[in-house]
Parts: sequence; C-alpha cells; structure tokens
Amino acid sequence: MEQAPTFRVDLLAAIPSLRAFAVSLSQNADRADDLVQETLVKAWDKQASFQPGTNLKAWLFTILRNEFYSQMRKRGREVQDSDGALTARLAIHPAQHGLLDLEDFRKALQLLPEDQREAIILIGASGFSYEEAAEICGCAVGTIKSRVSRARSRLQEVLDISGEADYGPDAIATQVMGSSVS
Amino acid sequence: MSKKNDQISRARGARGKNSSAELLGSNSEIGRKLKQYYDELVSTDVPDRFANLLAELEQAEPSGLAIVAETKAEG
Repeated sequence: MEQAPTFRVDLLAAIPSLRAFAVSLSQNADRADDLVQETLVKAWDKQASFQPGTNLKAWLFTILRNEFYSQMRKRGREVQDSDGALTARLAIHPAQHGLLDLEDFRKALQLLPEDQREAIILIGASGFSYEEAAEICGCAVGTIKSRVSRARSRLQEVLDISGEADYGPDAIATQVMGSSVS
Repeated sequence: MSKKNDQISRARGARGKNSSAELLGSNSEIGRKLKQYYDELVSTDVPDRFANLLAELEQAEPSGLAIVAETKAEG
C-alpha cells in the first residue's frame, strides 16, 4: 500500500517526457495525448510487473511505443521502414541568415521514417543510452546505431547541411585553438 | 607542445567522426536542434486530465490491491 502514492507521483513526473516522446513519434498533439493516456492506464494495470529500482522512464517509453505501433497497425497504416517511400527529395533551405530554423527542423524530422525518428529522439534528445534505446525498441544495439546515423544523414541532406562535423565552425575553432596553444 | 596539442585535437576529431555518441553532441547542429525541439515539447504545460486520470485510477484500484485480488482469484 505504501507504494501507491510513490508510483502515482513517479508517473506524474514522467508525463512531460512521455508527451514529448509521443508527439515526436506520432507528429500529432491529439494523438500524442491519447497515447499518453493509454500508456498511463496500461502502466497502472501493469505496475506489479515493474521492478522498483529499474528505469521507470524506459519502462513507460516501451509501453507508449508498443501502444503507438499497435494503433498504427489497427489503423491499417503500414509502418514505414527505413528504405520506404518517404525518401522525399525535398530539400529545406535554411533561412537567409544561414541559421537553421526550428520550424524547418520540425518539418525535416517529419520526413523521417518512424524507426529512424524514434531512434534519433531517444538517443539525441530523451537521454537514453544505446542499450536502453535498443531495449525500448526491442532491437539490437547495432540497429539503433545505424538508424541514428541514417537519421542524421537524412536530416543533413534534407536541411542542406554539409559535413558539419568536418567543416562546421566548431571544428574550425578547435583546429585553430589546437594549433595556437603552445 | 603545439604539435602535441595538434595531435590531440586531431585524435578528438577522428573520434568525433567515428563514434555515434558524438554524432549528436553539442558540436552538431542537428544535435542542438534536436534538443531544442524536444525541450520545447517537454516544457509544454501538461493538461489536468492526466493528473485527474491518475487520481481516478488510484481511487478505483489502489496500488497493491490488484496483486491481492489476483492472488485471491488464483487461490
């Protein structure tokens, strides 16, 4: 009984992250909130199967993700695979000042296949390790790594960012600093 | 000294290019935008319906009761 308030409080605390993940996955605010609601109900029902001390956020993300894909299947929507039809040739050019606009970025994210989008979000934004992300997605660590790297290349391509790791201002600054320090 | 630093920075660069963890680091514009996009979502106000839902769930079936009920049903 003692556990009850804690579990509820922990769930409450996880809601902002769950919603962010749900929006990232579904790209739709209403559907995202339905997913979160469904996740909370499922989590409550399954709380006995949660092992205290393990990562609650990862556990909840797993439930939400499963719910998302099962809803997609029910709607008869085919899950996009990485090499699917969404290889839009559309390039989004950064605004005049050359800075990447958040709105452009949002559009570019939307063009990614779901598996790549979830991978890059879990690793690059939600703060999960590759191992945790692999567990959440029920796949191998190597699969997550390759999805992240494909997602990143695709985003670079769509957003017209070329080899920023090599030529970006940070890389140049590092070089300059590296050679001038004595 | 300068040569040594050069080597270090080159080694860092190589590591950055090859390791996936570094792919989305703060040196990467994609990595920065990704965090900006996500942080904005995380900081969105949470509607009351979720807190209400949890309160209802707790009222309907306080934690622990489910397990007791199951055990009883099985036994």
